[in-house]
Parts: sequence; C-alpha cells; structure tokens
Amino acid sequence: MTKPTGAHDRFDASEEPTTTENTAEKKAEKPAMPMNTTENKPSMNNVTSLDPTLQAAGTAKGPKKGSNKSKRHVPGWAIVLAIIAALALIIGGVLMAKKNSGTAANKTPETNVTIGAKLAPTNLDIRNTAGTALDQVLIGNVYESLVGRDSDNNVKPGLAKSWQISDDGKTYTFELHDGMKFSNGDVLNADDVVWSLNESRKEGTHNADVLSAIENVTAPDDNTVVLTLKHPDSDLLWNLSGRAGLVFDVDAEGKYNPKTQAVGSGPFTVQRFIADDSVTLKRNDNYWGKNKAKTEQITIKYFADDNAAVNALKSGDVAVLAPVMPTVKKTFEEDPTHYTTIAGDDTDKYVLAMNNAAGKVTADKRVRQAIRYAIDHNELIAAWGNTDKPLYGPIPSLDPGYEDLSSLYPHDEAKAKQLLKEAGYDAQHPLKITLTYPNTYGPELGDMLRSQLSRVGIDLDVHMVEFSAWLEQVYTNKNYDLSLVDHNESHDIGNWANPDYYFNYNNAEVQKLITDARTNPDEKKSNELLKQAARIISEDAAADWLFNFRATTAMAKGVENFPVNMNQTFMPLADFTYTKQ
Amino acid sequence: MFRFIVRRLVTLVVALFAISVLIFMLLRVLPGDLALVMAGVNASPERVAHLRVELGLNRPLTTQYLDWFGSLLHGDLGVSQMTGRPVTVRVAQRASITFPLIGMGLLVALGIGIPLGYKSVIARSSRVRSAMQLIAIIGGSVPALWAGLVLILLFARGTGLIGILPSQGFPLDAWQEPGKAFVSLLLPALTVGIIVGASIMRYTRSALMEQMSSDVISMAMACGYTRKQAMLHVGLRLAMPQLVSVIGLTFAEMITGVMVIENLFALPGIGSGLINDVGHRDLIAVQSELFLLAAFFLVIGLLVDITHRVLDPRLKG
Repeated sequence: MTKPTGAHDRFDASEEPTTTENTAEKKAEKPAMPMNTTENKPSMNNVTSLDPTLQAAGTAKGPKKGSNKSKRHVPGWAIVLAIIAALALIIGGVLMAKKNSGTAANKTPETNVTIGAKLAPTNLDIRNTAGTALDQVLIGNVYESLVGRDSDNNVKPGLAKSWQISDDGKTYTFELHDGMKFSNGDVLNADDVVWSLNESRKEGTHNADVLSAIENVTAPDDNTVVLTLKHPDSDLLWNLSGRAGLVFDVDAEGKYNPKTQAVGSGPFTVQRFIADDSVTLKRNDNYWGKNKAKTEQITIKYFADDNAAVNALKSGDVAVLAPVMPTVKKTFEEDPTHYTTIAGDDTDKYVLAMNNAAGKVTADKRVRQAIRYAIDHNELIAAWGNTDKPLYGPIPSLDPGYEDLSSLYPHDEAKAKQLLKEAGYDAQHPLKITLTYPNTYGPELGDMLRSQLSRVGIDLDVHMVEFSAWLEQVYTNKNYDLSLVDHNESHDIGNWANPDYYFNYNNAEVQKLITDARTNPDEKKSNELLKQAARIISEDAAADWLFNFRATTAMAKGVENFPVNMNQTFMPLADFTYTKQ
Repeated sequence: MFRFIVRRLVTLVVALFAISVLIFMLLRVLPGDLALVMAGVNASPERVAHLRVELGLNRPLTTQYLDWFGSLLHGDLGVSQMTGRPVTVRVAQRASITFPLIGMGLLVALGIGIPLGYKSVIARSSRVRSAMQLIAIIGGSVPALWAGLVLILLFARGTGLIGILPSQGFPLDAWQEPGKAFVSLLLPALTVGIIVGASIMRYTRSALMEQMSSDVISMAMACGYTRKQAMLHVGLRLAMPQLVSVIGLTFAEMITGVMVIENLFALPGIGSGLINDVGHRDLIAVQSELFLLAAFFLVIGLLVDITHRVLDPRLKG
C-alpha cells in the first residue's frame, strides 16, 4: 500500500517544483519509504539515507543554512499523521478486498475451497517416498488403486469392478471397468495394471514387500487381470487398496517428473504443488467414473504451527482442518453454531516400544510388565485431549483380528512396584531407563510418562530427537530402551513377526500364528489366528500401546461429505463440497 | 579504495572455499540420511540400501564433495533430491517471501527505532528519557513469538479485536497478486519491525550517546548550534556509519532470524525451508542453501564495509 503512494509522490514531484510544504507533506504521508523522498530532490549528503529524521535534517538544511525553529517541530506531528494515514490506507484496502471477496453468490457451493492439514508432502513420488501425507492427498484423489477402500477400512470396488478368488486362495481374477482413462487422455487397461504391479515388484518400491506372495501377473484381455500367488495371502486384497495397488500410466512413464507432477486416473489432477506448503487439486474433467468431483478446485494447505491452523479456520481461509490438534481444538468445540468437530476412527497406534533385545533392562519381562501396569492410559488420554481410544494390544479396532485386551494390564501401581522389586529394583536401586522419541510429537507425552513412571520408582530419562536421528539411532541401530512412535499403518501386525524389526521381539509362536493367518484363505480363521497372536504379544508386554489416536476434524458449517474416518491416510474428496453460510 | 575492495574480494573467495568444506563435513556428522527418511518405518533394510545406491549416498565422501563443489563453480547449485526441484528455484521461491518480509520489517524497525533512539537521547525531561529506555527494554525482551501472537489477537481476520489483516499463509499466486501478497506480509512485518526496532533504537541511542559526549558536539555548539541542532546535523551524521553497519548485519541476520515469525504466520520462507530440508536430510539442498546464505552474509559484510568507508571519509588512507 505504501508502494503506490510512493510512485504517485514521485510523479507529483516531477510535475511541480519541490516546495518545502510539499516535502513536509510527503514526509507526513510515508515515513516508511524514505528512499523515494530522497530521490525526489538532489540530496544534500551524497548518501541515500535510510533515516527519516535525517532527511528532516536534510530538508531543514535545504532552503537555507540557518536554523528554522518551526521546521524542527515537524517530526512529532508528522509521524502521528503518517501512522494515521498508513492505518487508514491499510484498513481501507483490506475492507475493499473483503467486499470484493464477499460478492460471491450465496448458497451455492464454492468452486474453490482450501482445507488445512498438518503433515506436508515434500515430493509427490508416492512410489518411492514414505509418509502418510502422500497417501492422504493422492490416493483416491489423483491415483486410484485396483480396489478401493471404504471409510470403515473395508475393501470395495475400485478400478476393478469385481473380482473372484479361487477356493485355494491362490488365484485372483479382477474384472476392470470399461473405458477408463488417465488424466492425460491415455487409456487405462489391464496392461497398465500388470505393468504397475510388476514394476513395483521389480523395483522394490515403497511398500512393495506386501506383494511378495504374488508369483505372476497376467492380462488375458484388456479388461481382465489375473494374479497367481505362491501361497494364499489374506492381506493381499486390502493391500491392493493402498499404495501397492496404485495403477500408473505405462505410456507416460519417463515423460513426467514424478517428484513434482502426477499422472493418475483419479477424479482430480495436481494443478500446483509447493513442497512443504500446499497441494492444489483440480477437477479432472475427463474422469472416467460416474462420481465426478463436486468441487472444481481444492487446495490443501499445510500448517506446521497449530495456532496458524486455528487462525486459518477462524478467519475463513480454510473450510476444514484435518486434523485439528488436541491442544487447540477446544476453541471450535465451544462454538458449535459455526463449527463441527468430529473425531474419526483411525489405525494410529502410539506404540511405546520396549527394546526386547537381550542385555537391555527391558529384556526382563517383569520390567516391561511393571511399565505397563504403571502407565495410567486413561489419564494420558484425558490429558491429551480426551478423544483417543485406549488400546491394549497391537491391533486397532479398524483392523482384522481386533479384540479388547484392556483386562490384561489394568493400571495398578502396587503390582508394578511388586514386579520391580522381584526384578531387583527398589528405592535404593531405582530402575533408570531412557525414552527416545522424535520431537515431532512434542514434549507433553514424554513429561506425562516420566511423571507416571516416577510414581512406581522408575527414573525415566526423556530424549527428544529429530525424526531422521530417530530413524538412525532407534529404527536402524536399535540402540534404545524405550521409544515412542505413532505407527499409523493399518494391517501392520506383521512387524511383530519380524525379529529384525526395531522392536527386537522374537517369539516363534507369534511368528507362526501371523504367517498362518496370512496364508489362510478363510477370512474368519485368519482373523482368529491374528487375535491369538495379538493376545500373546500383549501378554508378553512386548510394548505398551498408549492409545489409538483419533484425529479430530474441525469443519466450518456448510461443509459436506468430508471424510472423517482415517482421513490422515485416506481422504477421498470427490464428494466434498463447501457452501459458505 | 580499489585495493581495499580487491583485497576483501580475495578474502571472500578463500572464505567461501573454507566454508564449503566446513558445511560439507558438518552435515555428514548428522545422524540419519535421506534414504532412511524416504524409506520410512515399514521398509526393509534392502530397500534402504537400494535407495542409498540410487541417491548416490554410498559414494566416497571426497567424490560427493568434488561433485558438489565442481557444480558450484559452474554456478550450478544442484537439484534437491527430495523434491526433485533445482535448489535455485526453491531458494528463489522462498526468498520471494522472506526478503520482502525482511525489507518491510526493517522499514518498520527503522521508522520506529531511529526516531525513538534519537528522542531518547535528545529529550530534556528525564522522565521521557527513562520512558524511552523502558520501551527499548520491553521491546528488546519480548519474544518474537509472543509479539506475533498479540498482534494476531489484535488484528487477525477472524480472531482479532480489529480483525482486518490476514494472519497466516501467502497467496498461492504469490506476487502475481501483489495486493494480496503485500497484505499477507503486513502483520508478520509489523512483528519483525517491533522486535528489531527495539534493538535499532538501542543501537541508535548508544551511537548518539557516544557522539553526545564527544568534543564534536561541543565544537558545533561553540559554533552557534543549539544542542538539538548539533545532534541532528552533526551527531546523527557521525553516528550514521555505525548505524549502517548495524542495519546491514541485522538484515543478514534476519534471513534466518525471522523463521519463528514465518512459522507463526505459516509463510514458507527461507528459514523454515532450511529446517525442513535438514529434517529430511536432503543434504545437497541443505549444503547449497547454507553456502548461498554464507555467501550472502559475506557480501553484505563487504558492502557494509564499503558503505562505511564512503560515509566516513576519515577511514580513508
């Protein structure tokens, strides 16, 4: 706003000769842009001064060298005037801008909506880069999988309209929709599916391990894909609804930069992507499906700062916050006339991993049990915003094999102390133990754990580290006692069957149960086996599960069909609309 | 003057070389690498190893350094391995937010700092002087984050008492919508300006105090200037070189110093970009960005010194 004024000033100056009043007026208008004022007249000093007071000095000196009393009073009132003028300009400008934006027709859905999220993608390369930020924005919007997923984490038709599984569970036959196209106009048929699956398996792209049961992928015709398996895999279908089952355009491969662009078949295309800041989705008008996107343009803006996110929703710059963090969500809960806040179910497990490796203090089962008894999960949840669900085992309620295991380790400080005593720790020799976790989760959880464990005499030393440092120290080198991470992946109980995983949990019975569950073609039996495995893992106190995180979504009134469940990993926006109230 | 500049330029080149080595070595000490970050928490060790080869992280350090420095010499800052975009494009994009923010913040700071600093020296009433002193102390001890939050509570659209200004984000079309872009920088610039203004005020004050007690002012007063005139015409002029140094260095410092403010107002500027890149261990990007910053600091330092000499003829010879 100061800029145009400055330009205007200079114009004035060239039109008419500079007079003293004129200069004073200029000064009054804009102390913030002294450079221009200096340019207007041949400067007394050969220096372009940055200081308005000094210019006043220059001006005062200008006409004649002698002192001029009235001139010296200029600074005081001039500054006040300038501030008032500047404020008036700003307010006027903003009000005008507001008016303009307010003229949009009422009661029809907005064509251009912004929603706020937290974890930002750094690139768009969903085949090679970890992180749920990519799943959240791309799957179901820009890329589509062979099969889809509903809001209860069940498989539903996707690019394939139907499928048959042979009785021995080793042959999957998918029938694809007709007339499918990618956003660039290329035809999507069985060739693209076969190529995408084979490419993942060959290149070992992110999450390709879940396809390891596949022996062969073939396309008998343009609309049929057949998967032949080495052994039955009860998780395969679900896995094909996620990253592993995404279908890419074989003809476009190598013609675009997958880190900055995306070519998919979904109801949206990526119009603009600013790393770590925002992704703008545009309706794909060539979308093959019936369910075309209802909003023309949706921008997902990422907020690292929770307060900035809150301000964005309050000021109407975003229509939705997915998620709103527990520490700041109250402001929307208290205003139900303007906002809806809903906690969605999710598969996020806040796992307090205990290093099960021999030689660690946590290798002693009694120590691990004591820690589990010492933690008051309800207190943690209450302090953490009271939306999360307790979780006492490795399987969350949205995953197959879930069972309520809350009876296994109820909060019991006496029992914890007793177990510690048996393990050889007492007030004279307290158990000293370290918790290492990524600083992205904030200090609160570490503080709460420290105070809860101190009640039973455990001296917890909390280290917050950068996520990359955690990846090296804890995840790769397994150099830790306790660690805390949100394992948000669904269907990931398999990690407990992997003795090389950073949990260092090695239980042959669990490994057998989980392998059997995976290779059992009967869904019911498979789930039963998973249930057994989960119970053993929890009984072993292999880790503690602090809670099952439920992301809270805050929406302005007028938002419709926004996915609430699991929207941190899967947020299909085709039906989403927002009508300003 | 010419010899001075040449000498300084030679030092600058040597310093840049040393800095490049230092940056490269220090970054290699950080735990974790890009391959781990890209692979995430469900990946097999084979996948991490595969990525490491793909990203060239398994090459000997000297090769990696020579590759990087060689391209630097050709003016090529490299491509960020995480984002797939050239570092120059990324830095330019982020600088188009940070630099205007600093510029506006500095203008506010100078508009506040110099007049108040001047006033706090020249005021006759000791009450005014101590009030000024108090302002400087308060301004200097307020955390930037808090100042920003207060301004948001006062002026932010949607939440503020006088809710007129946007308090977060930068328009997607950036400076193609100059009005919107400018307005979105107003609150953050004001926050920066207040904080930095307080320090400029203290510097102005101490620079002027120094002049005040010098013989120059007595001399000017002996020639018939009033005390005020002497300070305005002679004192400020003499204090200028010192102030220019301070302003120059403040400017350079603010490039990363405004990061807290950028985060608070959700502006994707240089500071937060750097933190993100370090977090991802996108080392090629980080080292080029740090190198650019270092070069910028050195150039600003050089410019400040040259200006210093131009402003203060006594330094000649």
